[in-house]
Amino acid sequence: MPTSTPNPVGKSVPRVDAFDKVTGSAKFVDDMAFGPGLLYGKLVYSPIAHGLIKKIDVTEALALPGVKAVVTGQDSPTPLGLYLKDRFVFAHDRVRYVGDSVAGVIAISEEIAERAAALVHVEYKELPPVFDPYEGAQPGAPLIHPDLGSYEVVNFIFPKPGTNISEHFKLRKGDVETAWAQCADVVEDTYTLPQIQHAPIETHIAVARWDPSGEVTLWAASQSPFAQRDILAQSLGVPHGNMRVISPYVGGGFGGKAGISIEANVVLMAKAVRGHPVKVRMTREEEFLSTNVRQSLIANYKIGCDAEGNLLAMEATYYFGGGAYNDYGVNIARAAGYSCTGPYDVPNVKGDSYCVYTNRPIGSAMRGFGMPEIHWGIEQIMDQLAAHIGMDPVEFRRRNCVRTGDTILTGMTMPQVDLPTCIDKVTAAIGWDHESKPSAPNKARGKGIAIMWKAPAMPPNPGSSAIVRFNEDATLNVYVGAQEIGQGAFTVAAQMAAEALGVPYEWVRVSANPVDTKYSPYEWQTVASRITWSMGNAVKAAAEDAKGKILDTVAAYWNEDPEDLDIKNGVVVSYKSEREQALKNMVIYGLPNENFEGWQGGPVVGSGKFMPTYVTGLDPETGQGTRAVVHYTVGAQAVDLEVNNDTGAIEILKIASAYDVGKAINPDLVMTQIEGGAVHGMSSAFEELRFDDKGHPINGSFVDYKIATSMDAPRVIHGDIVEMPLEDGPWGARGVGEHVMVQTAPAIANALYNATGVRFKDLPLSAEKVFLALHPEGVELSCELPEPGSSAD
Amino acid sequence: MQPFDYYRPKTFAEAFELLTRPDRTAVAIAGGTDVIPQTRDGIRRPDLVVDIKGLPGIRDLVVTSMAPCCGTGPDECLYVGAAVRMNEIARSNIVQDHWPILADAAASVGSEQIRNRATIGGNICTASPAADSAPALYVLDASVLIKGPRGEDRCLPITQFFTGPKRNALKRGEIVAGLLIPRPPAGTLSYHEKLSRRKAGDLSIVSVAVMAFVSAGNTAWRVALGAVGPTPVRAPESEAILAKRHDAEAIDRAAASAYGCCNPIGDIRSGLEYRQAMVVNLTRKAIRAVVAQLPQA
Amino acid sequence: MLHEITLTVNGDQYAIAVRSHQTLLQVLREELGITSPKRGCENGECGACTVLMDGLPVNSCMVLAPEADGTVIETAEGLSVDGNLHPLQQAFIDHNAVQCGFCTPGMLMSSKALLDRSPHPSEDEIRYALVGNLCRCTGYVRIVAAVAAVAERE
Repeated sequence: MPTSTPNPVGKSVPRVDAFDKVTGSAKFVDDMAFGPGLLYGKLVYSPIAHGLIKKIDVTEALALPGVKAVVTGQDSPTPLGLYLKDRFVFAHDRVRYVGDSVAGVIAISEEIAERAAALVHVEYKELPPVFDPYEGAQPGAPLIHPDLGSYEVVNFIFPKPGTNISEHFKLRKGDVETAWAQCADVVEDTYTLPQIQHAPIETHIAVARWDPSGEVTLWAASQSPFAQRDILAQSLGVPHGNMRVISPYVGGGFGGKAGISIEANVVLMAKAVRGHPVKVRMTREEEFLSTNVRQSLIANYKIGCDAEGNLLAMEATYYFGGGAYNDYGVNIARAAGYSCTGPYDVPNVKGDSYCVYTNRPIGSAMRGFGMPEIHWGIEQIMDQLAAHIGMDPVEFRRRNCVRTGDTILTGMTMPQVDLPTCIDKVTAAIGWDHESKPSAPNKARGKGIAIMWKAPAMPPNPGSSAIVRFNEDATLNVYVGAQEIGQGAFTVAAQMAAEALGVPYEWVRVSANPVDTKYSPYEWQTVASRITWSMGNAVKAAAEDAKGKILDTVAAYWNEDPEDLDIKNGVVVSYKSEREQALKNMVIYGLPNENFEGWQGGPVVGSGKFMPTYVTGLDPETGQGTRAVVHYTVGAQAVDLEVNNDTGAIEILKIASAYDVGKAINPDLVMTQIEGGAVHGMSSAFEELRFDDKGHPINGSFVDYKIATSMDAPRVIHGDIVEMPLEDGPWGARGVGEHVMVQTAPAIANALYNATGVRFKDLPLSAEKVFLALHPEGVELSCELPEPGSSAD
Repeated sequence: MQPFDYYRPKTFAEAFELLTRPDRTAVAIAGGTDVIPQTRDGIRRPDLVVDIKGLPGIRDLVVTSMAPCCGTGPDECLYVGAAVRMNEIARSNIVQDHWPILADAAASVGSEQIRNRATIGGNICTASPAADSAPALYVLDASVLIKGPRGEDRCLPITQFFTGPKRNALKRGEIVAGLLIPRPPAGTLSYHEKLSRRKAGDLSIVSVAVMAFVSAGNTAWRVALGAVGPTPVRAPESEAILAKRHDAEAIDRAAASAYGCCNPIGDIRSGLEYRQAMVVNLTRKAIRAVVAQLPQA
Repeated sequence: MLHEITLTVNGDQYAIAVRSHQTLLQVLREELGITSPKRGCENGECGACTVLMDGLPVNSCMVLAPEADGTVIETAEGLSVDGNLHPLQQAFIDHNAVQCGFCTPGMLMSSKALLDRSPHPSEDEIRYALVGNLCRCTGYVRIVAAVAAVAERE
């Protein structure tokens, strides 16, 4: 392994965090020690899906020896939420899903807290629940948030008071009604998917301490320390400067640890026992029961093309099952709305995207943020239309996919993307042009393709900032507020700082473990696949700032023009005079004048920021605007699979992916995202949160909520990196962390159709569903079947 | 977990005393892979846990001539102590050589980590209808050696040990000491398969064990299924059909007859229709797999 | 009920008092400060708590503390020898088999046990041995590659 890597951008350098993680020294929140004063909290959950809270009796819980306090909704009357303030820390007067937290018990041990939680007695008046988002959006449906009209909401979200609709995004481009008449062929269909969960291996966990001085500290496994600080400060009435959020390594986030989940509960519980840290860790069962999920969706599509196969019109209607609280979910419905064509150039579009309250767990950000949900249907209906007009699905996509410079559905001009090359790569890798034979007589084999796009879904002004500061030996520390959730954020931060400064990669230390809002520079959230791009730009700016200061000092010292100087491999060089100056020591102590008659320079600190300045609003009636989003990342995936005719089992043989990342800052880390995303995407096609008809979860543990194991993952995952540089990306880079799983489910479905002739429109997939679809008459037998149990002993 | 007392008795007498203490809720623990999750989930609420792994002979895995309760039959038995772990069974050369279907069944349990703790005694005492070891034990005609507090040992055929879903034939205070499994004749062929939602690490939707041995020119068959009713089942009618013929049509009839023996339900792992279909398809597959191994007539 | 037990962890002998209903996982993390085995599900499903007990990989969340009396326990903290990373640890780094890192200690212990038992496993065997270790980040590709690389070398 080389000990000095200059110009590391574009190289697959080793991760900065791998050593700590393989030696077990990497600390997560559950590994942190808080001393003997630590108290433990347990949340009390609603056992019903919808109801009014009549009475909460905490006397028995409080009487249990070892219990310090019990906190309820009465202790926090201020609503909170990211985009729409529709939640209370603990349920106020109403519970809205099985798992809604109604109280928090604090005790001297986890055991006692658990026992005490069972002694909190809550009386409810049950109300009729709403589980289906389409039903919930109809007039006359029971209202889950009767006070929706009074909730504070950001100016780009449009709830409908008096209904369960928390957001309605409208997209009107061109004229679909006229366009249908011009279509040679039109298809229409409905696609659905259930709620699923992130299921990170580290569950949600937070520790909070409310000091008598009024300083509040929260340690959380968090993708969003600064956003959490903001929400907590506002809802708890604490000045931002007194609210400190600290987050060490996160054991998987996938969006579930973004925004705010249990953190507000824990901070409020800490307030009841001032001076003591209080720890709340979700058990795996609580994670499934109570923490946030990906929304369900009922999507109706109608698309039409001309005789040559050019898309002319598209209509999309989305009913997202947002769950009990939609404070984050509203933006998913919005993002789905302004991307509802998928990665296609369609001149006439009508889109209506509704986020609907349901008495289900909270739909929140999950990897893809609405894109996996909508591509499930889009990528299949495209195949359906292609089949109708007798065109190969790949050809159909090459013809219609979005390209740089296209005017997309919001009226925005498409920034740099290269989807055709992505399509070419995956079709070559999967062997699209030749039919592969099944491996056995009882198997069917098929291939499918799906393409995708996604833009970071953010408010218009999400900022990143970074600081670069040197040490005496010219190693340097880069400070970021971005979080390492496994994606490699810290590693690319080091690479970009080193590249922009002109020092070897190994000189850079990333000072971000933990991210600490008291010391780390501001970062909006580690979400939206925005960190390489946005934090990267800030790091680049900070490094260039530091470099500028160094060059100014040395240029003045040499009486030269800074324009003629550069830093190469940690040494300042002049192209003019060929003089050299090592960075060591000078970056702290400066440079002495001749005969030590004074000094020049001093400690070098660089700072930088990045915030997009060009995102505009969208017209609420048409969804049109100059610049809806910062950029799109596009990609393609192809799947080769077999189906076992006797059991329905689906064996994914190969997944081939290609994504246009603009510039792969660390190519191997892009590949590991591609690999992990392919498996996550595949797994998500088979996952489902299941409930009984009263809304109780029935598969809330890993026993029955199965995620892909090492045996389920496909043996061959092929990845290609495409690089069409993004105009304002650092070295042209844009993100890819979510995109890698967006279209895997429809790619599988398209391959299933190719193999079996059956189209599956409702997730999840399963061997059972496939078998029953292939054998509607039951098993094939040469004799009759007796009655079950007829010959049992 | 709620607090409980833990003891590790060294003799059966000690164990019986602990398990029959009045006013205590006692449970025996071997591998803990069922008892611990059940206790954590509140399904069980023991205040006394009796670790039986220290009892004499409870970890033995030996070939023995002990046949008093094997009934008539071969006088070579495999004795598997109740606390023998699934991986020990799966990886034992003796078991792989002479009781291969038992090795296959043990290897199908959960994950490596579970198999290093889960025991065969625990598996049958939990008595899930989907118990991974059951179909193999059924076709092997295993017997369960039970020791009781009043000094009487008894031997129960495995088919009588499972009495209902998660119910076994043990009386209060009794302990399963081990299993006695007669050695199948040389040349026995077998096939075991567990169908679940995932390729491994999952509970079964349907499991099947098929054994065949040729003796005096005739082929004797044994067929058993798991997760298809309140208890695992043998399919004697299927066995009789196959004893006469094992062409494609007979295999279909045997599979249909196995279907008739089962009384499955729909549950969280599988709907009823699919499970019923898989009984047929899996049984057929298993029989065909054994037929393919038969020496040509 | 309290039990005095002795156990060896990563070569160090401990004599401690434990309660009947504590698990080995709790003892390691809370009494001995050995935090690499993680709480992921505490139900024997995810493998994040995997340690080697007398050489065999087990879910430490499913071992009662008194059951660990007299046992030899190995965790990721004990894998490196004389400050040198174990070949598996180095391979995990070299192959980028680590992302969020939460499953990593368990993966390493299961992998070590596999190679101790079967020094040249096939890809099937590797995947089968790791079925009880869930990972949500990597898709298992690099983990399998890292184990295979070490197996090939030895």
